[in-house]
Amino acid sequence: MLILGIETATQQVGVAVGGHEGVLASFHAARNRRHAETLVPGIEFICTQARIDLSEISVVAVDVGPGLFTGLRVGVATGKTLAHALRVPMIGVSSLDLLAFPVRFTHKLIVAVIDARRGEVFYAFYRQVPGGVQRVTEYQVGTPDDLASELLASGEDCLLVGDGALRYSEHFEDVARLEVTEQGLAHPSASSLVQLAHARALREQFVHSWELAPLYLRKPDAEINWERAR
Amino acid sequence: MITARTASVDDTKALAARLAELARPGDIIVLAGEMGSGKTAFAQGFAQGLGVKDTVTSPTFTLVRDYMGRIPMHHIDVYRLDHLQEVTDLGLAELLDDGAVTLIEWGDVVLPVLPADFAEVRLQYGDGDDEDERHVAIRFVGPSWAGRNRAVWEALDRWAGPRDGPRDGKA
Repeated sequence: MLILGIETATQQVGVAVGGHEGVLASFHAARNRRHAETLVPGIEFICTQARIDLSEISVVAVDVGPGLFTGLRVGVATGKTLAHALRVPMIGVSSLDLLAFPVRFTHKLIVAVIDARRGEVFYAFYRQVPGGVQRVTEYQVGTPDDLASELLASGEDCLLVGDGALRYSEHFEDVARLEVTEQGLAHPSASSLVQLAHARALREQFVHSWELAPLYLRKPDAEINWERAR
Repeated sequence: MITARTASVDDTKALAARLAELARPGDIIVLAGEMGSGKTAFAQGFAQGLGVKDTVTSPTFTLVRDYMGRIPMHHIDVYRLDHLQEVTDLGLAELLDDGAVTLIEWGDVVLPVLPADFAEVRLQYGDGDDEDERHVAIRFVGPSWAGRNRAVWEALDRWAGPRDGPRDGKA
């Protein structure tokens, strides 16, 4: 079984391919947010390096967010197209789950935080469990101060991970017993995506390409009042 | 509120170019006014003032167009959208947060999803028979433009229309 992982939820573009033997090749680029220009050449590159033909891919895994709209659209649309063309199933994994996974070797409360722009962050809390992490809250969107209040209320040792935690680190300075991880773990990793998707693939937790949807954490919608204007 | 009067499309562009000289990264300009009032012309002049070399065309069908100038410029048109969520779906938070100036045509109808910190430029047809004349009303909401009130007033002096406030800039 070979899984292609596509990760575009933040300013980073990440792709990885792997399966039972682990991750065979990966590529990440975090500059310029040129998702559309970088993604497909990235897939081509890792497949060449791992000596894999696209037709050998049996699952397409995609980071479904929450994250930046521009990146998610490119990643989800590309993943769906490939899965449809290759006639293979898909697995969607949340960006916040992907952030928490690499820091699973801690007993602290893990808080994955993604910069949602305009002064907001996406976040969720996790705890270490054998072999990984388990999410203990809903995926949420709020201001860094909303999150700081929740951290204070938890009264636990916390480990914050993600570009949102780094950008707004000064908002969490008053929270005692808190640590923010470094730049190297700021973005979800496509390698983590392949690893998490592999575990799900073994349990056959697939979705069809037409069922997979990005996780936008939308706010309530309303119609535009065009009556007086248009 | 600053009011001005322009005599032609080119004059509207010239006013916009002058205003663009005062623009800063992160600025939002809401363009209001009925069809044909000159919103896109204003954006074209504004782009010129930012030093954009490319031709600025209406974003009505593409929804968003990006330009490189002294400051990058996003040009958005929400005319074809029916839900506020669609405006957010354009990646609005990211567009407003990447150090560019953002001009939003018909932006006055989507204020609920915009930060309360922008300049609104309302273009209206003149009262007289001259169909090229426009009234331009500029209103500042929020802190970022408030500090530039006087500078804008002075920059647009050439086009000065009837003014409802004292000249010391406390509009």
